[in-house]
Order: sequence, then C-alpha cells, then structure tokens
Amino acid sequence: MSTTLVPRWRLKPVAIGGAHMARPTAWALVGLLVAVTLVALFARQLAPYNPIQPVGALNLPPLSAGHLLGTDGIGRDLLSRTLIGIQVSWLSALVVVASGLLIGGTIGLVAGATGGWVDSLLLMRITDLFLALPGALVAIAIVAALGPGLFNTLIGVALVWWPYYARIVRGETKALAARPHVEAAKLAKVGRVRILTRHLLPGVVPTAVITASLDIGNVVLLLAALSFLGLGQQSPAPELGADTARALSQLLSQWWVPGIPGLAVLLLTLIANLGGDAIRSLIPVRR
Amino acid sequence: MTSFLVRRLSTAVLILLILSFVIFLLQSVSPGDPARAYVGANASNEMVAAERQRLGLNDPMLQQFTRFLGGLVTGNLGRSLRTRQPVTADIATYLPATAELVVMAFLIALALAALYALSGALRWPGASVGRGVLLLLATAPPFLLALVGIIVFFGQLGWLPARGVGDFQDPGPFGMQLVDTLVHGQADAFADAFKHLLLPAVVLSIAPAVAIGRVFRSSLHGVLGVDYVRTARSKGLTETQVVVHHVVRNAIGPALSMAGLQLGFMFAGVVVVEQIFSWPGIGNYLAASIPVADFPAIAGVTLVLGAIYVLSNVVVDLLQALADPRVTAE
Amino acid sequence: MTEPVAEVRDFSLSLVRNGVRSPVLRHVDLDIRPGEILGLVGESGSGKSVLALSLLGLLPPESHPVTEGRVTVSGVDLLAAKIDELRRVRREVLGAIFQDPMTSLNPTMRIGRQIGEATHDDAESVRLLETVGVRDAELRLRVYPHELSGGLRQRVMAAIAVAGRGERSDGKEARPGLIVADEPTTALDVTVQAQLLDLLRELRDDFGCSVLLITHDLGVADQIADRLAVLHHGELVEIGKAADVVRNPQHEYTRSLLASRLTLTMPRDERFASTSQAGEGDPEPAVSIRELRRSFGVRWGRGSKQDIVAVDGVDLEIAAGEALAIVGESGSGKSTLLRIVAGLDRPTSGSVTLAGDGGPQMVFQDAGSSLTPWLSIGETLGERLRPLKLSRSDVRDRVTEALAAVDLPPEIAKARPGELSGGQRQRVGLARATMIPPSVLLCDEPTSALDASLAKNMLTLIRDLRARIGMTVLFVTHDLAVARLMGDRIAVMQNGRIVELGPSEQVVSAPREDYTRALLAAVPEIVEGAAS
Repeated sequence: MSTTLVPRWRLKPVAIGGAHMARPTAWALVGLLVAVTLVALFARQLAPYNPIQPVGALNLPPLSAGHLLGTDGIGRDLLSRTLIGIQVSWLSALVVVASGLLIGGTIGLVAGATGGWVDSLLLMRITDLFLALPGALVAIAIVAALGPGLFNTLIGVALVWWPYYARIVRGETKALAARPHVEAAKLAKVGRVRILTRHLLPGVVPTAVITASLDIGNVVLLLAALSFLGLGQQSPAPELGADTARALSQLLSQWWVPGIPGLAVLLLTLIANLGGDAIRSLIPVRR
Repeated sequence: MTSFLVRRLSTAVLILLILSFVIFLLQSVSPGDPARAYVGANASNEMVAAERQRLGLNDPMLQQFTRFLGGLVTGNLGRSLRTRQPVTADIATYLPATAELVVMAFLIALALAALYALSGALRWPGASVGRGVLLLLATAPPFLLALVGIIVFFGQLGWLPARGVGDFQDPGPFGMQLVDTLVHGQADAFADAFKHLLLPAVVLSIAPAVAIGRVFRSSLHGVLGVDYVRTARSKGLTETQVVVHHVVRNAIGPALSMAGLQLGFMFAGVVVVEQIFSWPGIGNYLAASIPVADFPAIAGVTLVLGAIYVLSNVVVDLLQALADPRVTAE
Repeated sequence: MTEPVAEVRDFSLSLVRNGVRSPVLRHVDLDIRPGEILGLVGESGSGKSVLALSLLGLLPPESHPVTEGRVTVSGVDLLAAKIDELRRVRREVLGAIFQDPMTSLNPTMRIGRQIGEATHDDAESVRLLETVGVRDAELRLRVYPHELSGGLRQRVMAAIAVAGRGERSDGKEARPGLIVADEPTTALDVTVQAQLLDLLRELRDDFGCSVLLITHDLGVADQIADRLAVLHHGELVEIGKAADVVRNPQHEYTRSLLASRLTLTMPRDERFASTSQAGEGDPEPAVSIRELRRSFGVRWGRGSKQDIVAVDGVDLEIAAGEALAIVGESGSGKSTLLRIVAGLDRPTSGSVTLAGDGGPQMVFQDAGSSLTPWLSIGETLGERLRPLKLSRSDVRDRVTEALAAVDLPPEIAKARPGELSGGQRQRVGLARATMIPPSVLLCDEPTSALDASLAKNMLTLIRDLRARIGMTVLFVTHDLAVARLMGDRIAVMQNGRIVELGPSEQVVSAPREDYTRALLAAVPEIVEGAAS
C-alpha cells in the first residue's frame, strides 16, 4: 500500500467494511441493481394509476384499499408517483454518471497517455480548476441560469461532474503508462492509438467501472437535493425531492406524503452504494 | 514552505477569477433582467431601458466583466431582484447564522469521523454497530434525515425545537447566537440557542462524517500494515504509541483531502437543511431566490460561498503540508 | 557452554495466503549462541523471512499463523508469551534491520526522533550514529528519511537496532542480545554492502550481540558468518561452521546453491572467445554512441532547480555480433544510457546510431510488469509480427518457434502473464525481444530479481540465442561476475562516465582504475581453502 499523500483529486473509492464480500452476496446485490434499473425503465407500465391525476380520496394513509402507499393532498396515488419518481431519479443518475465517465474518462485517458504539456498544462489545468470550484453550488448556479427543468439540471450536473472522473482515470492511466509493458509495446513499434486501446484502456476500465458504480449514489442524492430546491422537473410531474419539498407542511400530520419520496431516495442510494461495493469486490484491481 | 504557500495562494486567486468569470457568463445567459431590481416590477419599459443604460448593461462584454470584477473587489454584488436590497447587505445579514451552523456541523463531522475510523482500525468492541447505523443514516438524503429528526425529536419526544434560532434578540456583535449569548453572559439563552442548533447541525454532519471516516479508516488500515510500523513495533512500543506517533500522521492525508471536499458539499447541503429548519442563513436566502429566478442573489451567494470554499482548501493543503514534509518537495 | 540467546525447537508454521493455507516452516531446530553471527541462507520461498519475523514475535495476524514447537528468546517463548512480555523482550533483547530502508523508516518523522524512541536520549543517539559511521550525526538528527541515501538509511536502522536497553547490573549499557537482519544489504550497492557487513561484524565485536544474518547469497553470508544454516522449502537442510559448510557441503541443495553461484573465476563461454578480438578495418559498428549527454532538471523543495547529469559524455562503439557489459552502481547512469540506446529516452546532446533495420529490443529487469497483464502470451508475441502482415497460421507458427527457442512449450501461448512463474516470464520477454533479430539486444539487469539457479539458466539462454542468431548485445548489470560472463568487453561506469573499458578478463584480473579495484574488492567471493 503506497504511503504517499493522496491529493484531493486522487481519492479512490472506498468500500463499506473493506472489499471482502462473499461472492453470493455480491452477486445478489448486483442483481438488485439490475432489478432497480428494470423497475425504473418500466415504471410507467408498473404504475397502477396516472401519477398526475387525482384518483382517490385525499391523504389516504399507506396500506389503504387500492393505494399501497396512500394518496397525497390532491388525491394522487403515491405508489404511482413514487415509481415515476424513481424512474426519473435513477435513470438521470445513470445518464449523469455515464456522461461523466465518457467525457471525463476520455479526457483522463488521453491526458495520462500523452503526458507532457498536453497533460499537465492543458487538460489537467482545466480539470483542476473545475475541481477546485464548489461543484454543487456551481451546478445550482448553472441550472438557475438556464432555467429549471430536467434537461437543464442534467446538463448542469454533468458539467461539474466529469472532472472527478478525468482525474481518477488520468491517475490510473499515468501509473499504467509508466510501467514497462507500455515501453515494451513502444519498442515493438506499436502505434500510439493501439497502445492506448490495447495496452492502457483495459487496465483502466476496472477502476473506472468501480468509481462509476460507487458514484451513482452520490448523484442520486445531488439530484434529489436539486429537485428539493425547485430545480429539476416542474410540477405536476412527480419527482422525489420536489415532492418532499412541496409537502413539507404536512410533515407532522400526514408524514407519508413528504416522507415516502424521501424514503425512496434513501432506498435508491442504499442499493446504489451496496451495489457499487459489490462490484468493487467482484472486479479484481491490479496493484 | 513559503514558496509552497505563495504558489497555493496564487492558484487560489486564479480559481476565484475563473469562478467569477463563470458566474458572469451565467449571469448574461440568465433570463431575469437585473435592471428590474432597481426600478421595480411595475416600471415602464423606457425606465427599464434607461436603467440598463445607467448600469452599463449594453456595454461590450469585456468592459462589463472588468466592471463586474471591480464590483466584486469593492463589495458590490448587485441588487437582489426579490428583496431590492444590495446583495452584499443581504449576505452580511444572513452569513453569520450559516457560519455558525456549518462550523458546528463540521466539528461534529470531524469528531464522528475520528470515532468511526479509530474504532474500526483499533477494533473497539461493539463499535461496528454504531458504524453501521451511521452508514445507514448517511445513505439518506439530508432532507429525509431532517424530516425524521423533526418528527422524532420534536413531534414525538419534544426535546428539540423544529425551527428557527430561538427567541434571543441578538444585539451582536457576531450575529451568531451561540457566541453572542456567551459574550453577553446569558446562560439560558445560550442553552436555548444550542438546542436550536443541535438538530440541524447533526443532520448536516452525518454524510460528511461518514465520507471522511471511511477514507480515514481505510488509510489507517493501510498504514497499519506498512513496514515502518513493523519497525516501530520491533522497538517494543505500545500499540497506542505506535498509532499516535507513527500511524495517524501518515494516514491523515487522504482524510484531510476528503474533509476539504466535504466542506464544499456541506455548503450545498446547508441550503436544504436551512430551508427545512427555517434557519435564517444564506442557504435559506438562496433557496428563496431560486423559484423567482433572482440571479443577482444566486450569483452573489455562489461567489461568496465559493470564495470561502477555495480559501478553506488552501488551509487544508497547508495542514497536509505540515503533516507530511514530502508534499512541499514536489 | 553458555545459554543460547535464541532457541528454535521443532518449529513448524503454516500461513494463509490468498485464501489457501500452506506450510511455510517444517520442524526447524536452531540455536543462536551469544556473540556469534549466524548466516541463514535460502532462496525465495524458503521461509527465511517468516523465521525472522517469528524470532521477533511479529508474525502478521492477517495470515492466521498456526504454529507448533517453541521459539525462545532470552528464556521467553515468543509463541506463547503475553503481549506485554513480548514487548519487553523486543525492547530489551531484540533489534531488527529490515530489507528496505526506505519503507522501514517513518517518512514523516525526523530521524532523531525515530532513534530516540529506542534510546530516549539525544546524546546517546548522536553517539550511536557515529558508531555506525554516520558523519555530521548532530545535523542528521533533524533530517527526514527521504533526504538520506539508501546506505545511510540502513545505518540508521542499525543504530536503532543496537540502541541501548537500559543499565546492566555492572553499570554498563545493556545492548540487545540478538539482532535479526533480514536481507539488510540486498537493496544496497555492492560497496555499501561491504561496509554494512563490516559494521555488523564490529557491532558483534564491540557490543557482544549475536546477529542472525538472513540472505539469499551464500557469498554474502560467508563474509562475516561464524556458522551457516541453509533453509530449503521450510526445512533446515544444513547447519555448521561457515568454512565447513562452504568447503564441504553435506546436503545436495547446499551443493547446488554453491554450484549456481556466479563467480569471477568460473570458466567463460568458449563460443565467444574469438569475438573479443575486435580488429581494425572492421565493417560498420552495430552501435555507435558519440558524446552522449543526458541531464534532468530536478526541483527541490525550496523552489530552486538543480541539474542532475545522468550521462556525462559517453563515447562507445560496439561491433556487430559483440557483447558489451556495462557495470556500475546505482546512480552511475547505466540504465539511462540503455534507455537512450533503446529509443525510450532522448539525449540532451550527442547521438546514438544503430546499424541495420532490426531496431533495438530490450529485456527488462522485471519481466512481470513488462508483459501486458490482460493479453495472452500469444497475443503479446504476435504483436511484434504485425508489421510483417502474416496470415493467422503463420503467426501461430512463428510464436511457437519463438517459444521453443527459449525452451517453453507451445501451450504457454494461451496463458496470461499472471499464470506463469518468474523464470518463465523472463524467458517470454527474451523470446519477444529475439523473435525478429534486433539490431542490438539490450538487457537491463534481467536476472537480478531471479534466484541463483534460475539466473544461471537465463544467462545461458541469452548466450545460446546470441550464438545462434549472432546478435549484438549490450548488457547492463551491477554484478561484475555476471558482466564477465556475459560480455566480451566490460565498461565500468561511474557518475555518468565510462571510467574503464577493456576485454572482460583483463578488467577483472588486472584493473587499471581505483574504482574498478574497489568494485572488485567488494564482491563477496567465497574464498576456497582459507579458514575463517
């Protein structure tokens, strides 16, 4: 284990309780991840009612007849709203993580493999500056400037999210590029592009995948917070954070109306974190 | 060490410049019209146009940016569209309460993180339960924690209040209830202020505590297996001596980095927490500015909090350098 | 006879590694007498380091050690002792010197403080540093480990190991009874190694402590050991007086260890006898190096930049089919020179010209990391053939041929590097380099990480290939015996310059330069026939 200081941008993903998870448990958790994704994809088909239409009595508690999670102050079915909310939150998080990985990963790979001024002066300076800004705040500012809405929110978050991946991928690539097997490939007259794709990229993928999978939970939380503040999808569309915010006044009387969307976020984050840890323990990372 | 400090500070200045530029760009893109803040919503179009001219909003971009920067340096952040007050004045009013909340939350987070990490690395019996609970709590979105906290500690148990900072009419000088009540020697008011502060601060501290704690624990674990710790043990030192003198200082680096990062996230989290607890701070101010697209206010808050974040990272880097002399030799 | 300082009785140990429990030591019986130096020799996997850790009571709990028998130091059985007792023994009786001084010292704590943890007295720390040969000891107390050289760091470790253990009943400073030194010189240059070995002997003479010197090199152990013990696969196969074991080995393994040693006097390869005469009117040399210079700008902590000159004006010519060995210690610039010839680094000034169009190829020191971990051997080797645009089956045939040339079966082509042993990986590296005859074969200490027997095989293999293809070879090593064996000529490098150049036999038997003489003197040779 190296004892050198880890600069801010080099923080590697940390697993819950160490990477020692029994394989069956790990696979079960990965299965959960897949299950949630399927639920998110088919939420509309799974939802019993139209989420934005009032369909029942007002403020029915959970486990009432016909409404598993109850209804809200306008009579909309909470189960349907929560399912669509899960769809929005989960798929948005996946999109943000994927775009961060793609943009940041590519930049990091090129930077780490090229080295020299392209790496330190150009690409990493930009990445460093982005990283030094308070990401969440800038995301709020961006979305506020562009105007609220789901698309703008995703853009705002993606813009501040990629530098993290760039740094991590660049670090891994640089470490790999300094190893003799890359030099040996150069001696074998292997072309630059082929070195990147065949001798560097496969070594970087495990760390990238682990980072991304552990990051999904963070993005879910950030998106929920942004939607809580009113950025993100506008009403009456269901969104987990926003639904909590709008029902705050009912906190002490009908706790389930603001509470259930919040619990849904908790569930998504939990599954994402545990799934990320499972993936981490399943993928062997070379040291 | 001094050259390191100089380098770090100049990078910080550069970052602030970039941040200002980004905010400036966003401002020109944003839909709201800053001139309206000065003349009001009912002003005629001619008056608005005249105000725009007076504010120099039709000048070329570079000139506007220079004026913007000049305004930043002199403390002029424009005028809020919502309150019609200068943004700087608004921020000055609300910042101390946020500072109080963030500082308290950060201290709690550090304490919890230390407990989390040390209990894991030194294998204190029974601590894994506590760590598991903390982990679960950290997975929850802060607003959920706040809701649950209010329901449990206010609704059910009646121990802690649900909103606001208390009834103390604070004459200053700091604008922070906790400190000012001490300054004025008011014990009851202090206790009241503390009770009001406790729940929001704890809610805000959980996620950072776990993030920092996990990193710290992981690096403690890594360092415990390292060669020079073996040397230390071979000298016959006790485990406590080994941990305190050899392990902690070498393991603290990543934890410090994470602490700096988490402070930034905390500034975002504080917005949500303040809204739920009706805490009269900048976060609440920001949250109120968003639905009305009050961009001057949003920009001002982002800049101020951003500057605080950048400067606190300089401090974190300094601490890292003090802990490990190899950092300055880079 | 007085009580032994340490006793190992019927000691067996198994550890869990990668989820599998395996026996590491079997029924080891050993005594260490007061005031003696016991050399423990074994190759990698023999269990020698684990035995050292057992004597210090520092077995890693993560490996779930299961022990049988007794390990007694100063009357205390370390396997059964309570943690307080264990610590007391470590404080009062034991001292340790480990292999890697960089990682064995706390990088964020000043040297003085680290020694102080053992001495509790600054003046005593200074005295100790002077005893172990560190000059300006007072100043050194304030420095950090990364500001010292490897040799100095190891001396600091020695000082810590020997630090006082409180007052004895006769008023004198008590010293540790046993110093366990686990490969203390392996990471050091050969001249520094000789000094450290002398230091250990002095410590024994002045302070009366016993030393357990663990090493893989019989020659090193023979330099200062009174008795020698040989460990093979966890079993103690031979033990006795050093001179006896060396001159009259009883066990077959000891004999094979002695036989695979590379010495300065062993017979050289007959096949290349003629190539050492590089006559005049030669065809174009395979490698021409003219006034080569390479400097690096290094930034120190206080912001100032300093130029480090790695290669300082080197002129060299290697004839076609010749083998030149470059010998130098760490920091001599030999590796940098090699990398420039390979084209992996650019010179600051000067030129390198290679004849022919085969291109340079290199055999790396660590074969494991020179093979792309996720590609199969066949894919890695096949990559070299891409410019030839051969058909699939042709590529397969060539790969099989290349593997056969290094004595590897064709099935290896399907394996990944992680599945092969160190020796096999090194051979694959050689196959890759020689598949298409290169204009020059560059070898960067290819055997320093291998055990003696494997190293010998590898070097023979390189020579065989050279004879078959008629390659030009540039061989870089820190070991003079290897250089003599592999090169027709030897170039000695120091501080970026070539200080001596000549036919191998001559450089070794009649060196002209003082530095070469110093290098020769430091080589641990087993002197036959002399009683120690």
